[in-house]
Amino acid sequence: MLMKTIVKTLPMAGAVCALVLSSTLPANAKVEGDTIIFGAAVSFTGKYSTNGKHTKNGYDLAVERINAKGGVTVAGKDYKIAIQYYDDESTPARAAQLAEKIIQQDEIKFVLGPYGSGLTKAVAPVTEKYKIPMVEGNGASRSLFNKGYKYLFAVLSTSEQYLTEAINLAAEQATKAGKDPSSLKVAIAVENDPFSQDVRAGIVDDANKHGMQIVIDDKLPKELNDMTATLTKVKALRPDILVVSGHSKGAVLAVRQVNEMKVNVPMLAVTHCEAADVIGKFGAGAENTLCATQWTETMSYEDSDFGTAMDYYNDFNAIYGYYPPYQAAESTASVQVFVDAMERAGSFDTEAIRDALAATDLMTFYGPIKFTEAGNNMAKPMVLRQIINGKLVAVAPSRFASEPVVYPRPDM
Amino acid sequence: MSRKKLYLLLLVGLMLLAPVLMPAFKTQLAMLMLMITFALTWDIMGGQMGYNSFGNIVFFGTGMYVTAVIQRDLFFTAEEYESLAGSLNIINGTDYLTGLFLGLGVSVVVCVILAAILGAGILKLRGHYFAICTLGLGIAAAEIAAGIDYIGAGSGLVPPTFPHEDLGDRGYFFYYYFLTLAAATFTVLSWLYKGQFGLAINAIRDDEDKAEAMGIHTTRYKTLAWCISAFFLALAGGALGNMVGFIDPTEVAFAGATFGVWMVLMAILGGKGTIWGPVIGATVFHIMQELFWTYLFGWQRVALGILVISIVVFFPEGIMGFIRDRWPELLGHKVDLKSSKKGSTP
Repeated sequence: MLMKTIVKTLPMAGAVCALVLSSTLPANAKVEGDTIIFGAAVSFTGKYSTNGKHTKNGYDLAVERINAKGGVTVAGKDYKIAIQYYDDESTPARAAQLAEKIIQQDEIKFVLGPYGSGLTKAVAPVTEKYKIPMVEGNGASRSLFNKGYKYLFAVLSTSEQYLTEAINLAAEQATKAGKDPSSLKVAIAVENDPFSQDVRAGIVDDANKHGMQIVIDDKLPKELNDMTATLTKVKALRPDILVVSGHSKGAVLAVRQVNEMKVNVPMLAVTHCEAADVIGKFGAGAENTLCATQWTETMSYEDSDFGTAMDYYNDFNAIYGYYPPYQAAESTASVQVFVDAMERAGSFDTEAIRDALAATDLMTFYGPIKFTEAGNNMAKPMVLRQIINGKLVAVAPSRFASEPVVYPRPDM
Repeated sequence: MSRKKLYLLLLVGLMLLAPVLMPAFKTQLAMLMLMITFALTWDIMGGQMGYNSFGNIVFFGTGMYVTAVIQRDLFFTAEEYESLAGSLNIINGTDYLTGLFLGLGVSVVVCVILAAILGAGILKLRGHYFAICTLGLGIAAAEIAAGIDYIGAGSGLVPPTFPHEDLGDRGYFFYYYFLTLAAATFTVLSWLYKGQFGLAINAIRDDEDKAEAMGIHTTRYKTLAWCISAFFLALAGGALGNMVGFIDPTEVAFAGATFGVWMVLMAILGGKGTIWGPVIGATVFHIMQELFWTYLFGWQRVALGILVISIVVFFPEGIMGFIRDRWPELLGHKVDLKSSKKGSTP
């Protein structure tokens, strides 16, 4: 009986569903009139929402600036650009679905990357399947670049390079002090996610190269609310270097608890200092922390869209009310790379654009961009900065260093 | 042919044609079928038996991992695969299907055994104690999976890429897979609910002590019910890992905060303890969710929250319960108007 009623109403329900679904079919395709539309699923909510915001602002600033400069000229015609956003809620399952949605339902042919390696790992197989070019600035895991992906291009340095400079710097300092680098002890505490596990792999490789001993090698849970267990071990074992990686939440957690527990360690190196705004949050408590960065405003790069890196830094602040962390800069650069490839390809054919992307040789405010066969950018180095007197100062590699590193950190 | 059969046939036809009519929505439609399976399998325990389980996601995630590991280990060593995973064309159609279906088969066995073992242990608990225990189970499973290097730990595991050159469009493949799964779940459950099994678990819901006193082996039935959930969830998880293409321990496999909660919500929204309730609940929930995501961008979670609150406040018995209260005659219940006017309760 129950069933009878249901089946009675089903045809109508089906029709309503079909109607609702078909009404969501957008009219915009890849190029609508004189506007080129990019698709992007970014983390607006969830654990990556802070960095998702940086990513979006970076994309938006590029769109605004490129449009203000007259847009993109493809085959003699000027186009404006726009981005269709979706919220992937920081979950890979959602990101993969949205990538399908962008390509299949919105019929968008150009995809900008999400924030983070895990999400990029979920999106890349989809863009590959449909042969849709994706340029991304926030998926650094090296596992993205050993798959033979042909449509994935990343403007940033891969994640295993993030903190290796810190290990080399410590070795350098040890040699200077007349100690053998192999006498140094390393403590590693990284989040259990694709990005941070790669950061760890890079550190382990370099530590082994110097013969350093790894005394702590902890995985932190994704919730990242507490790392006192690790820090208690640090207090007991007194390593020379403590490396922490866990996106913005990890940076905040490390700096906060190192202070709270008065952990004395000669070198504290973390990722995502700027994105997490540890200086603003902890002030003097963040002093002497070493921070890995893809880009700094003090670098001497420049381009015609944004001027120098410093110009970009100030312009971004004028619009969004905060200084851009590198996550924003690399997102902006992703759009620049895409647009440059379109202009060179002279058409909206995805294959032509893919080939043009592969042949990219572009100087931007963010740095030089030239892709390897695998799609990652090898032209741009990582930089290590230290918080000295409340300011981030480049300390390594030596060609970018503006001040000598403070080592060891003074005891608290 | 009766009207009922005709409509059912129409529905089946519509479902079979849906991805052809709306090719751009294949993935969403496949997700809808998954949601229906989620709600139906949750309702076995949560609705028909009155045991609120928040741990069903354990079987889903286990199925996902077991399938992917079999797919990997059948043709590769773990190290070899590490550098290949996610690359295109690493596996041909025959090998892919062999790996997938063998993996699904093994994961069903593993999950059913797991349900039997876990069930024998914790199904002696009742009410809130059982709910909390299963909640812990889901979280523990995610943490354990995130710590095992063999299955990729926190970096996740990538199932072999679908060989679309051999097998055609992945979207169609997974849609029809999930459609078959949802239909099979529905058919098997409606058949089971009509028989002794249905009566027994309903008796447990209504009064477990009395049921036991009547001679029903309650723990046996409870464990059996959980094993049936595990059976279908293993099949769902194994395929979803392949459809998403990236298995993350906490966000995709043991996704308690999303799938784990949704399966409860959908069953309650539709009306728990009925066979059509979970189907309707899942459909409404999934369509609402997709619409919110598209049209209430940035506010989708708020909208979803409001939806959930509205359900609980206005439709505590779900959509089916609401219909039963308002228009009982629609569902074939006979209403004695005279006595109901007098205000007598049955």
